[in-house]
Amino acid sequence: MNSSGSRPEWLYPADDQRRDDMLAADGQLLPHWQDVLDSLNGLEDIAARQQKALRILRDDGATYNIYGDSTGQSTTWNLDLVPNIIASDEWADVESGLLERAELFNLLLRDIYGERSLIRTGVIPPEAIFCHRGFLRACHGIQLPGEHDLIMHAVDLIRDPQGQYLVLGDRTQSPSGAGYSLENRTVMSRVFPSLFRDSHVHRLSTFFQRLRTKLLSLSPNPSQARVVLLTPGPHNETYFEHAYMANYLGFPLVQSDDLMVRNGFLWMKSLEGLKRVDVLLRRVDDWFCDPVELRADSRLGVPGMLEVVRAGNLVVANPLGSGIVENPVFLRYLPDIAKALLGRELRLGSVHTYWCGAEEDLAYVLEHLSELVIKPVYRQAGSSSVRACELDEQGLLQLKARILADPVQFVAQPHLAAGHLPSLHNEILQPRPALLRTFAVASGESYSLMPGGLTRVGAAENSFVIAGQAGARSKDTWVVDSDHERTLISEQLDDSGALREADLVSMPSRVVENLFWMGRYAERAESTLRILRTTFIQFNSESPAGNEVKDHLLRALQNMAVLVPAELGADEQLDEWVENGTLSNSISSNLNAMLFCADQAKELLSSDTFRVINDIRDALQSLPTELTGNKGSAPEEVLDPLVTALMAFAGLTQESMNRSFGWRFMELGRRLERAQQINTAVTSLLVPAMAESDQNRLAEALLLTLETLISYRRRYRGRMSVETSLDLILLDSSNPRSLMYQLEHIAEYLKAMPQPPAVLHELTLEERTLMQAEVLVKLTPLKEFSLSDDGQRPALLQAMSQCHQLLGQLSDQITDKYFDHREASQQLVRNSMEIL
Amino acid sequence: MRYRIKHITEYQYASRVSHCYNMAHLMPRNSRRQQCLSTHLDVQPGAVINSKREDYFGNWAHHFEIHQPHKKLRIVSTSDVETRDQVSMMDLDLGVTCAQARILMQSNRDIDTLMAREFLLNSGMVRKGQTLVDYCGDIFTEDKPLLRATLELTQRIFTDFKYNPQATTIATPVEEVLENREGVCQDFAHLQIACLRSLGFAAKYVSGYLETLPPPGQEKMVGADASHAWISVYAPGEGWFEFDPTNNCMAAEQHIITAWGRDYYDVTPLCGVIFGGGENPILSVSVDVQRL
Repeated sequence: MNSSGSRPEWLYPADDQRRDDMLAADGQLLPHWQDVLDSLNGLEDIAARQQKALRILRDDGATYNIYGDSTGQSTTWNLDLVPNIIASDEWADVESGLLERAELFNLLLRDIYGERSLIRTGVIPPEAIFCHRGFLRACHGIQLPGEHDLIMHAVDLIRDPQGQYLVLGDRTQSPSGAGYSLENRTVMSRVFPSLFRDSHVHRLSTFFQRLRTKLLSLSPNPSQARVVLLTPGPHNETYFEHAYMANYLGFPLVQSDDLMVRNGFLWMKSLEGLKRVDVLLRRVDDWFCDPVELRADSRLGVPGMLEVVRAGNLVVANPLGSGIVENPVFLRYLPDIAKALLGRELRLGSVHTYWCGAEEDLAYVLEHLSELVIKPVYRQAGSSSVRACELDEQGLLQLKARILADPVQFVAQPHLAAGHLPSLHNEILQPRPALLRTFAVASGESYSLMPGGLTRVGAAENSFVIAGQAGARSKDTWVVDSDHERTLISEQLDDSGALREADLVSMPSRVVENLFWMGRYAERAESTLRILRTTFIQFNSESPAGNEVKDHLLRALQNMAVLVPAELGADEQLDEWVENGTLSNSISSNLNAMLFCADQAKELLSSDTFRVINDIRDALQSLPTELTGNKGSAPEEVLDPLVTALMAFAGLTQESMNRSFGWRFMELGRRLERAQQINTAVTSLLVPAMAESDQNRLAEALLLTLETLISYRRRYRGRMSVETSLDLILLDSSNPRSLMYQLEHIAEYLKAMPQPPAVLHELTLEERTLMQAEVLVKLTPLKEFSLSDDGQRPALLQAMSQCHQLLGQLSDQITDKYFDHREASQQLVRNSMEIL
Repeated sequence: MRYRIKHITEYQYASRVSHCYNMAHLMPRNSRRQQCLSTHLDVQPGAVINSKREDYFGNWAHHFEIHQPHKKLRIVSTSDVETRDQVSMMDLDLGVTCAQARILMQSNRDIDTLMAREFLLNSGMVRKGQTLVDYCGDIFTEDKPLLRATLELTQRIFTDFKYNPQATTIATPVEEVLENREGVCQDFAHLQIACLRSLGFAAKYVSGYLETLPPPGQEKMVGADASHAWISVYAPGEGWFEFDPTNNCMAAEQHIITAWGRDYYDVTPLCGVIFGGGENPILSVSVDVQRL
């Protein structure tokens, strides 16, 4: 590649109207971009690498949920393969500016919830604080131990037309993006291993180690600090990041219901009882954290949490109330605030901000409205910036009226053209406006900055809004040594495996409950698919089964797939179920339930497992059309990909999960469900007594459904009989699909469950129930089971239905004992008004 | 005047409450004209944690959690209080005029005025608006003393509005009260605050009790008193002055203060979260204000 000196032909032309980060003033590539772009351009398989990146992101479950999307589908995180490259000498300037800013915002936060000297001395007007909904009066007087109240400080930066970095705003509530940055880095280093290595990119892992150390150091209980990460749950737009960070930092991921306040402390409900929580890394907005004192209608917080914080028994990071310093009104007064609190002005500039609460600003804003961007001072869902130049006359009048109705609630900023970065679209570089979010964490006496951050580029060349919700893409941000005499450091990239300790920490019981149900639903889906496949095969075979056999098969399908009772003749009914989607609904409802549980336990599943889960999701989506479209031509084959994926899922959880309590509960769910399905299948297919040939056909269908036909044939050759079938299906504990095998394994898992220390030797309630079921099946001779009377096998029917009932009880007993079923909470005084 | 106040709050639940978390504003605070001599809060069933603190506005906030299953929650707050009249009762015509007050609110740099500006802004239950200015703007003429005008507004609300506990709930917005012209003390207080703030004056919500006297010749009934609410307006350079639109007067000795804030929400007597309890808990409140 010969690109030094002359402009390479793949480079888009410079444009005077547009500032571009990779180009020098004369339109030439900047040196620190040269190498990387040369290498990228030299790669012929860039499309394949983009595919690979997408696949890794998908396998990692890296998603970003779009609000207001009724399908509830999450979108795979969008990564642009061209990194944002920043030379280290330039970065050093930005870094010192950002650290200084973090220091200032820490002092600002302290002052607001302490003396409020900025108001007392007239540095800022009182309304600057009092008008802002992020000012939580309930948090007045709360201070964290140590130097810092502001633990994490994130900043959104753009390049102004002169190429200077300029702060657009601060994020201090529960800043998101650090986890996505790490995921971007992990993907990039796998897609471009050699390029990444040769470019000497500054590493991110130190930042996370510092965050972890800081959080642990905040604990009021230094002997045994327990830090947890509080998420609003899988429906939150950045849930992936919550799970990813929890896993990476080695802290349990918890939701509201996993926590409770008792005796003035915060506790996590785990299988081994309540565990004290000392530090809470929150991803729930502060207003939602405590329904007793903050938003009364919140279901995302923990009642009484704030009082625990006040008592000094819990540290929340960032502290409750820290959203106030995101207030853009402070940008208006920042030079004065900096002089008052730091004794000097900030090095790094912020975007010029007018506040409609200041009389002279208001006059200016009304006069120059069309040149400005109007923002509400308080950021919340549904509130967004307005570019006045996009409004017609009517719209301008409405905007003016809104501002004048409550001027203190609005700021205005000039519309800035953000600097552009090259972005890869259809394998061609195109300029896109860029925004960089940086992250600082309190560390030692000062702050420490992540070398890099989350770069996002707009969806189009002139995009104004750069947000995931608006289709923006993200980039890895590379801070690279600018001089060519690079120091050789051994760049072992171990970011992804740095601190995996989550498996060692005890889990909240909700996660375990979800694993239990994941096991049950996966198994239920699998057996539904199997019986369906058997039915198709029997209906469509060269010598089709007789009507009576078909009726019984259909009933078995109906029982196992939980369908409405059959009304039509067997063939028509099956067609009807295929046509109207009843069958695909039955399958997808089980699988969706399983996928939901998997999402809830995301942090415990490996990325291999996630790949299989994605396969299941894909197969599930195409199932309805394939089932109806494939009519006539072996519909059972349509089901194969799903069955295979579910088998792979079962195999992977066997192979790649630690044998922790979580795993045992999942297996327990699976075994219990399988036992119940065997039971239903036997009741539907072997309880009816029929003529020999029909009987054999049903027995064969049963063995096929339970995946034991081959072992049966191996053992008994072609001779079918009810007795031998029952032997293999019910009693033979060497057959992993026999009832006894399930019961024995359940017994084993129950023994290994956490139990309170027992003095007596009696069995637990669950063990007794299980033993009853076992005895019931074992004590009846097979001959008696196979005796028929009036078209039925009464002994078998009775034993099967009793066993079914006992196993149902067992499931309830396990749920009652181990999982939390707390009553629904309600407000004492109903009050869901919007609070100012 | 010395009073003993006994305030009993009782919740009867349809089904068992397994545990609950509560915050109460039930203990009288101190103020320029009031001193709380002693106070005690009794919670049944017994609370595990029971703590009190001074909140942002200087009120007593009481927190408790109960982990004992119960179908009845009973909170008895008993306090002895000494109160006085407001000092400048007779000087209503001597203070700042409405025009001066408006200017001083923005120009004064003393801490009291700066901090009073918090009570000029919208709050959760009180929103400023033109309809409020239309309702009472004529009273607040440029040269009229602010406190005189506030008293006239107090009178106007008293005359125009009907006391009717069935007309509103705690969540009824001020605009609706203004339109229907009926409500209770809390509605009238919110209305008056909204009027004052809309006109550029700082006003806060005061919750407390009012001693009632029995008709002549009759014994006073125990529990006949009620909790009450009124307002306080800020005159720059002079301080806060309390007016009672429900009773058409300035607050006096028999107005006993529990807490103040921007509106009812800041001083809710009892709020919290319960687990269980079923539908429609029955609330009964009794207040007894006794002269000592």
